[in-house]
Amino acid sequence: MSVALLHVAINQLGRLLAACLHMARAFSDWYQRPSTCELRGLKLLREWLSQEQLAQYDAHNYFEVIGCHTGKRYRVCHGTGANVFELNDAGLPRKGWCFVPNEYLVAGDVMLAQKIALETDERVALATANNFTPR
Amino acid sequence: MATQIIMDHNGDTRHNFDAKDAKALWEAERRFKALTGAGFTAATRTASGEPVVTRTFDPSAGETLFFPRLVGG
Repeated sequence: MSVALLHVAINQLGRLLAACLHMARAFSDWYQRPSTCELRGLKLLREWLSQEQLAQYDAHNYFEVIGCHTGKRYRVCHGTGANVFELNDAGLPRKGWCFVPNEYLVAGDVMLAQKIALETDERVALATANNFTPR
Repeated sequence: MATQIIMDHNGDTRHNFDAKDAKALWEAERRFKALTGAGFTAATRTASGEPVVTRTFDPSAGETLFFPRLVGG
């Protein structure tokens, strides 16, 4: 009798744990979802990227831009800071550049501002930026 | 219908206006001057989609994007 009751209790405890796990996963998915603001920023970014840049971004989560003054290539990675890398001839990061809007913006907006700055006023963008060695 | 897109913490805020409406155009120019005066950069796109920074209000621009001043991070 007591063994049967123990089996029932273990069975019910297992179901309870499974239900808790399911709820925890659902909460985690909800918590980590992109916010409306982030989605709006990404939509704007996608509208302004060239077709080539958009394909790169969809494939790799980064896109490359050509500096308007030097012709150097830069990789703008998804992010809101320390996300711009000057590339060498082999297409590898040789130097990191950090320049960001002076007020909080979502990632899509930050990347778009960085793209426009490098494509239209590269020297000023780099003069503003701090540089760092890529890892 | 023309649009001014201002990047902000919500992603962006859009102001649509009829460029043929003198009052709406005046309001758009006032907004342009206020934003660029506050350090925002204004950019439009060429027909081929390349961004161009603009320092003066262009009443014929279909879409103007404003982003805040960039600083070293």
